[in-house]
This record gives sequence, C-alpha cells and structure tokens, in this order.
Amino acid sequence: MRSSTNMIEIKSLTKRFGKIVALQQLNLDIKKGELLGIIGPNGAGKTTAIRIISCILHPDEGDVLVGGYHIGQNPLEIKSMIGYLPEEPNLYERFKAYDLLKYFGELYGVPKEDLDSRIEELLELVGMKHRAQHRINTFSKGLRQRIAIARALIHDPEIIIFDEPTMGLDPATAMNIREFIAGLKGDKTILLCTHYMDEADLLCDRVAILNQGQILDMGTPHELKSKIHGDIILNIGLKDPSLIEISTLEQVCPVENIAWQKDQLYMSLSSREDIASIVEFLGSNVQSIHTKEPTLEDVFIQTVSNLPENIE
Amino acid sequence: MGSWTITKWELKGTLQSKKFLLIFFFQLMVLVGMIIFFNGFMASIESQQGLTLSPSLNQFASVEVVDPQSIIKNQMNPQILEITPNTKDGALNNLNRGAVTGVLIVGTLNNSDLANIQPLQAEMLIDYSDPKRSVVRYEVQMAHDKAAYLISQQWMNSLVPVETANEPQIQQETQGESLPLQLITKIMTAILLFLPLFLFGNMVIDSLVGEKERRTAEILIAMPISRSYIVLGKCLAVIITMALQSALWIMIMIMAGFPLENPFLVYLIVILTAVPIVGLTAIIAAYSKNYKEAGIGISFAYIAIVGFLIVPALAYVSQQGKYVSMSTMTLAIKVFSQEAISWGDIILPLALLLLISIISYGITIRLYKRDDIIFGPRPGLLKLIIELLGIKKV
Repeated sequence: MRSSTNMIEIKSLTKRFGKIVALQQLNLDIKKGELLGIIGPNGAGKTTAIRIISCILHPDEGDVLVGGYHIGQNPLEIKSMIGYLPEEPNLYERFKAYDLLKYFGELYGVPKEDLDSRIEELLELVGMKHRAQHRINTFSKGLRQRIAIARALIHDPEIIIFDEPTMGLDPATAMNIREFIAGLKGDKTILLCTHYMDEADLLCDRVAILNQGQILDMGTPHELKSKIHGDIILNIGLKDPSLIEISTLEQVCPVENIAWQKDQLYMSLSSREDIASIVEFLGSNVQSIHTKEPTLEDVFIQTVSNLPENIE
Repeated sequence: MGSWTITKWELKGTLQSKKFLLIFFFQLMVLVGMIIFFNGFMASIESQQGLTLSPSLNQFASVEVVDPQSIIKNQMNPQILEITPNTKDGALNNLNRGAVTGVLIVGTLNNSDLANIQPLQAEMLIDYSDPKRSVVRYEVQMAHDKAAYLISQQWMNSLVPVETANEPQIQQETQGESLPLQLITKIMTAILLFLPLFLFGNMVIDSLVGEKERRTAEILIAMPISRSYIVLGKCLAVIITMALQSALWIMIMIMAGFPLENPFLVYLIVILTAVPIVGLTAIIAAYSKNYKEAGIGISFAYIAIVGFLIVPALAYVSQQGKYVSMSTMTLAIKVFSQEAISWGDIILPLALLLLISIISYGITIRLYKRDDIIFGPRPGLLKLIIELLGIKKV
C-alpha cells in the first residue's frame, strides 16, 4: 500500500468548528522513522491536526494518508498503526494500571499469548512495574503520564503521536519523558506536538511552526534558527539609547532583526567576529553585553510577529 | 470482537465497583420490601375486616329500630348504619339521652292490609343536634323505598301468579378474582417484573456521558474499533446487568409466591423490552453534555416509556381498548397468567420492540459518530434533528 517513504501525508486539510477555522489548507509530510515536531501557541490547531491523523476527528476538506491508507476509507487500519497520547492522560480512574494496559491491549488486538509479557515489558520501560496493581486514581500526574505512554505503546505501533507529553509535569519527570521519547527515535515515526520550544529543539528532526491552522515554516531546528537569526543573538545594555542611530549601526557591520526593549538592544549576527566592531562603535555608551545562541522560541516569535496581521 | 471486549470490561468494571454492588443489592432489598408490603395489602383485602384506603362510612351512625316484621330493617345497610332492634320505649329513651342518632318505628303488615291496599305505618325520629342525621335520614329513606318496592312486587304477584321456573336464574360468580383484584395482582406483578429495566439508566449515562465528561472518549475513539461497536458494546453491558437483576427479581418473586407461570418466557419478554429502553436512554446519553442534563432527559423519557408499557396493560386488564397488545407488559401478563395468546399478541409488541430498537440504536450511533457531539460545539436540538433527517446536509 505504501507508495513513498512518507509515513504521513497531509493534503489541503481543513477543519472548522462552527465558525472557527481550526485548520486551513494544511499540507505536511512526515517521513518514516522521522520525529517531527509541531510547535505553536494554544489554539494553533495542533491537537485538531493530530486528532484528524488519528481518525478521531473527521476533516471538512482535504485528505490524510497514513502508511498509504486514506483516513476516510481505512480508519481502523490507521488506528491500528498509531499509538496516541492525548494532551491529558484521560485514564479510567477505577482501573488498576495492569488492567488498563490489558484492556487497551485487547482493544488493539494484541494476541492474548503476548499481552502479559508486553505489559510487563512496558511497565518496566516506564518504571511502573511496582505500581502495576495500584489503581490509577492513586497516581500522581507524572505516573499517570507514564501509564498513558505505556498505553499508547501497548500494540507496538509504527507511528506514535504525542500531544503535549510534558505539559504540567515537574522538570524531573518532564526530562524523564523527553529521554524516553528520544529513546524511541529512529525505530518509530513520531509526531510531537508541543508548545515547549526547547523540547522540540532537543528532540525533533524537523519542526513545523503552526499558527492559526497554517504551517508558517518548517525545517530542521538548525535550519529554522539560522534562517531567522543567523548564528548568534547579541544583547547590549546601553546607558543612553537615544544616542544610537540604527542606520549608522547597520553600516558598521551586517546586522539583522534589530529590536529595542527599553535600554536593551537586540540584534542577530552571522559571525561572532562582528561583536568587537559593534562595541567599538557604541563606545562608552555600552553598559552590558550578552550573547546567546538563537532558540526555536526566538524563531517562533519572529515568525509569528512577521505575519501581516501582527505588523502595525 | 472489539464490541465484546468493551462489553466485557464495562461489566468487569461495573461488577467490581463497590458502589454499584451496594446499589444492586439495595434494589433487591427494595423488591423484597415491596413484596412484603404487597402481600400484607392482599392479606388485608382477603380478610373479613378488609382494608380501607379511602374514608369509610362503616357503621357511621346508630339507629334503633322497632320493626317486629323486619320489613324496613332488613333493607337497611348495616355497613353504614349500626342497627339495633329495641322496644319503642327503650328506643325513645336512648334517643332522648343522645345515645342514638335516630329511631325508626314500623307498624305491622298482614295479608288483609295488602289486599285492601292499606299503607304501611312508619315513624322516623331523629336527633336534630346530631350532624350525622342526614346520613340516617337518607339511608332510612332508601330502605323504605326498597321495602315499598318489595311489598308492591309481592302484591302484584298475589294478583298474577308467576311461575318461578320462568324467572331468570342469576348465579353469582364465585370463582376468579374481582376486577379490582385482577388489576392489583396482575399489574403489580407486571410492574415488579419490568421495574429493573428502569434502574440502570445511570449505567448508560456513565458509559456514554461519563466518557465525554472524563474525556476518556477520545482514547476510546482512537482504538481500532468502529464507533458503532463502541456504542453497542456499552449498551450490551447494561442489558446484561439488567438481565442479571431481572433474573434475581423473578426468582425472588417466585419464592414469594407470585403467580408466575412460564417464568422463562416472561423473563425473555422482559429482557427483549430492555433492548429498546437502553437504546432510547443511549440517545439521550449520547446527546447530553453532562450527567445532570442526561438525568433530566432520562426522567422525561422514562415517564413516556412507562406510559407506553403500562397503559395498554391496564386497558387489557380492565378489558378495554383496541391496542392493548402493543405493550410487552400486556404480553407478559398474558404469559404469566396463562391466558389465550394469538399470533397478533406476539407479533405486534415484538415488531414494535424491533422497530424502536433499530431507530434508537441507529440514532445513537449516528450521534456518536459526530465530532460535534463528542468534542463540541454541540448543535442545537432542532438543527440536529434537521440534519439527522437529512433535510439539510451535515
């Protein structure tokens, strides 16, 4: 059935909720074995997109192919291929951890003879073996998330979709889960929706920036960062910002994306070597100097702020 | 297979719930309590004393009667009046003391008086200070009229003798129950049989609305099972629970001595009736946003369903109405009473059950397949009906 190396192909996908357009002519391809991140603010359409890919929602227009199957024609085959972790764990509170995994294992059609060993293996993997016979309603949010991950992996899916897997978790648990996701890379095709830019930066092979139902940009984290900000962001604190003329500064060396924040001057440089000439130009007006590598957050803010509706 | 997995785990979850088990056995206790109450009620009815649930005029007022030939006295109603024979002096004395409400003094009547059309002399004395006097006056008047009619008949017969052999022979029916008793026994039995079907609406709500409220519907829908099977699997679990409860109720009713013939057939009818009831409940549960809304909706729906079941059954027991066979409760009554059953009595209610089941499950499945029903924003009822009827494209 599969005609290409693309595991997921999204074509002109549109979804409306009443008068709200959640997705607008969305196009996206995800390669086999790739970990693609979708970043975007709340309400960008990330969850809607992955719910349509998981055959939970029906699209209004467009099509999605998952493993060569059309979502409108073969939803059950697609669902069998996907392990879906929703934003909230949403587990059956009255179930014991073991029973929950058994229930979903049976629903996914995991062979009876393999199910027990698979449950054991997953509980071991998420570090929950000792809590197997405990009820879900006794678990903390972090433990629930671990069980939810085990639930999503119970049928050993080819594709795993994580929707905000670390949201609301403490830093240590979030780090554990990120490490766990990193461990799955290569073997599985993974779609990760997050609004934590550092998480996407750390884990993803490619990142798509989604806002208001549309992909604004896509590429590897490095590509995206270099496209917007070059190699380095320079932040200079000034004693008297009124003495600086931007046009003069631009003549000194190639700078991009110059921005003011009170007495702080931000700019993107393509080379560290330009720092010295800028400081020399500003002279005694310089109060402090900071440099940082550009992050996806910078990329995202820059991309979104460049939208026509956000430019005054 | 997927549907059965859902049914199995729904049942497992339900039967492992302490709260559910408590409610389940509490319902059985309620049944036992109702049986004890019902048996006490029937025992009272069958006893000489009787059971009076409405205000009674039993021996409401006292009358002393001076009627040597018992001409009027025999026509008086002893259930309303306390009738005491007495002498004229004794009776008047008691009336003066206020011990009785009235005194009736009746003369004697012989054949020559009858032949000469002599009037019967009777005198009524009433204590006007007693508020019960109007009842006494009315009852004595009635007794007097009856006596007058009988005397007239006797006189007419003396003029034109009638052969008694030609007189209509009226034989009182002594076998079988009276209509009120039939109503009570059959309807009470039928209600007890069908009652478990209305005790598990909360299970349907928990299965469908609960999934939405707890947001577990999302992961369930993400499973490789069609939404139809999810709905059917959940409903089947409720029907099985109802079947379990009904079986226990029927066993208890048989042990309590209810006249239940053909219990297996009756059980089958009850369980078949459960199918559309669960289906109708599922429509409401699928559309509702939350437990509260579903609870209100189900209360209204159950009033209609109970009416649909019980009204034809009541009409049947009281031997009135054309469409008595449309209710499975009527069929159940006929089966447990071992009455004659025609094919029409079987086909009509079963066809209705089938039709309502197909429609209700069809609507529930169509609702559950809609994104706006599960994830919102939920459409208004009118808009939804228009869309479901296909008048407007979804």
